[in-house]
Amino acid sequence: MKRGGVIWSWFWMILGILYFFLPLLATFIFSLKAVKDVYSFKAYVNVFNDPAFQLRFPASILWSVLTIIAAILIFVPTAYWVRLKVPKARPVVELITLLPFVVPAIVYVFGLVRTYSQPPLLIVNSPALLVAGYTILSMPYMYRAIDTGLRAIDVQTLTEAAQSLGAGWGTILFRVIFPNVRVSILSGAFLSFAIVMGEYTLAQYLAKPAFAPYIALLIQNKAYEPAAATIISFTLIWACMGIIQVIGGQEQSGQIAGGH
Amino acid sequence: MKHLILKNISKEYGGTTVVRDFNLEIEQGEFVSFLGPSGCGKTTTLRMVAGFEMPTTGTITMNGAEITNNPPNQRNVGMIFQAYALFPNMTVAQNIGFGLKIRKETESAIKERVDEMLALISLQKHANKYPYQLSGGQQQRVALARALANRPQVLLLDEPLSALDAKIRVSLRSEIRAIQKKMGITAIFVTHDQEEALSISDRIVVMYEGRIEQVGTPFQVYNFPETNFVANFVGTLNSAEAEVVDSAQGLLNMDGIQFKTSQEEMKGRSTGDKIRMSIRPERLSFAAELKKDNVLDCVIENITFLGSVVRIQVKIGNARFNMDTFNNPFLELPKIGDKSQVTCSQEAVLVYSGEATA
Repeated sequence: MKRGGVIWSWFWMILGILYFFLPLLATFIFSLKAVKDVYSFKAYVNVFNDPAFQLRFPASILWSVLTIIAAILIFVPTAYWVRLKVPKARPVVELITLLPFVVPAIVYVFGLVRTYSQPPLLIVNSPALLVAGYTILSMPYMYRAIDTGLRAIDVQTLTEAAQSLGAGWGTILFRVIFPNVRVSILSGAFLSFAIVMGEYTLAQYLAKPAFAPYIALLIQNKAYEPAAATIISFTLIWACMGIIQVIGGQEQSGQIAGGH
Repeated sequence: MKHLILKNISKEYGGTTVVRDFNLEIEQGEFVSFLGPSGCGKTTTLRMVAGFEMPTTGTITMNGAEITNNPPNQRNVGMIFQAYALFPNMTVAQNIGFGLKIRKETESAIKERVDEMLALISLQKHANKYPYQLSGGQQQRVALARALANRPQVLLLDEPLSALDAKIRVSLRSEIRAIQKKMGITAIFVTHDQEEALSISDRIVVMYEGRIEQVGTPFQVYNFPETNFVANFVGTLNSAEAEVVDSAQGLLNMDGIQFKTSQEEMKGRSTGDKIRMSIRPERLSFAAELKKDNVLDCVIENITFLGSVVRIQVKIGNARFNMDTFNNPFLELPKIGDKSQVTCSQEAVLVYSGEATA
C-alpha cells in the first residue's frame, strides 16, 4: 500500500475510535464526579447498593440465561434440520430470522400484548412471554451464528456416519452436532446475553424487572448513577465479547471442536 | 441362503429414474464392487442398502430379514465415506468406540474392542489424537475401524480412496481387502476407478445409466465383457466399425481389411451386420514374434513409455489401434513411421452391436 493510503487508513481509524470512545470516556469521567471536586466510585457504590438494581440486574441475567437456553433448544435443531433436510428453504428461513431487525420492538411488544392478553392464551403476565419475546429478538444473532458453525462441518456426512453406527436423532444432535458447533453456540449465546441485558422495550411494556428500564428510571431521577449503570452495562457486554474472542481463538488453534 | 439380496430395486427422483430393475445376490464374506461412471446409480444403490435412501420399488433382504424400510440406525451396516466423516470433537479412540457406546456396552468391553480395532489398523499410538492431527490415510483407517467396531453385517464403502493420493490409495485398498478377508465381512465397494475395482473385488457389478451392465469376477468382466459399454469402460480398448462378411467363418471386414473372430462372438450375427469390433491393446503383438489368426500390416504412429508397459500406436488401414507390450530394456523398439505387422488371436476380436458408449 502507498504511504498516503496508510496515513489515510490510520486517520479514518483514529477518527472512528474517537467518535465511539469519546462519549464513553466522557460518560465514565462524569460517572466518577458524584462527589464534588473528587474522582470517586461513589455513583457505582450507589448503584450496587440500590435495592432496585439488586432486583433488576439479577432478573435481567436470569432472563438472559433462560433466553439462551430456549434459543439453543429451538435454533440448533432448526438450523440443523434446515441444512440437512430442506436446504432449499434456507433463504426463506434466513429472511425470517432477520425479521426482528425489521419489525420495531415497540410494534412487536404491542403485538405480543394484544395477542396474549386474551383467551385462550392469557399469558401476558407470565415471565415466559418475556423470555419468548427475547428469544425472538435474539434470533438473528443466535440462528446465524449456529448456521455459520454448521457450514463449517459436513452436516450430512457426519449425520449419516452417526446413523450407520446406530445413533438416533437425539444422540446425533447432542453428541455430534452440538459439540461441533459449540463455539458458534457460545458466540450466539453471548451476543444474545448482551442484547437481553440492554433491551428496554419488552421488559418495560410487559412490566417485568430488567436492567435497561432501571437505567431509564435512573436517568429520570439521578445525575451520576445512570452514567455509572451505563458503564457497568458496557463493561458487561465487552466482557462477553472478550470471552467470544478468547473461545474463538481457542477454536482456531484446534482445541475446542477438534478443528479440521 | 444369500447374505444380502437386492430384488427389483429402482429409485426415482421427481420422475427421473436413477436406478432401475437392480437385482443382485451377495454371499456372506463376499467383496463386491459397484463400478461405473458418475451418475450411473452406484452410490444411490449403496445408500439404499445403508438406509439413507428408500427404494421406489423392490426389496432389500439381509440375513433372511427384509430391511427395505428400516431406518439406517437399525440396519447394522458399517459405512465408510469418501470424506472420512470422523467426528471432529472426538479422539480416535472415542470415534471408534462411538457405536459401542450407543449400544450401551460396558466401558471395559468398549476399551477392549477399541484396542483390538486400533491394533487392526496399526494406529495404537494415535488413540488420543483428534482427527485433524492425522493424515488422510490414517483418518480413513480410523473410519474403517470405527465401522468395523460395531461388528456390522455388511460393510459399505462409498469411494473411500478417492480423496487420497495415488500411493496411499494402493496401500490402503490392499489393507481394506486384507482386513475384510480376515474378518469375513460382506462388503460393497463403490468406485469409478476400474483398476481399484479389478484389484480388490470378488465380483464387480458394472453399472451404466442406472442399470446393471454386467456382474462377474474381475477376470470375467475384463476378459469377457458382455456389452459394448463394459468393454469400453473397463480397461483400454481399441474399437472400430466393421461388417460381418461371413458369419459362419467369423470373418469381419474393416475398411477392406479382414479380421477373424471366434464363433462365440458370432452368435446371433448374420452376414452383412454392421458391428463394432474391439481388441484389447495387450492382445496385440508384433507378428515377427509369433503369428496368430489375424496378421495385419501396420505403420508405427506413436510410442508412449508408461513404465512397466510401452504403448505403441499403430495404424491399420485407416484405424488407429493401441498395442501394449511389456517394457524390456534389452529389446529394441520400432521407430515411428516403420512398417510392421501385428497379430492377435481370433478370441481377442470382440464383437458388439451399436455405437461406443464410453
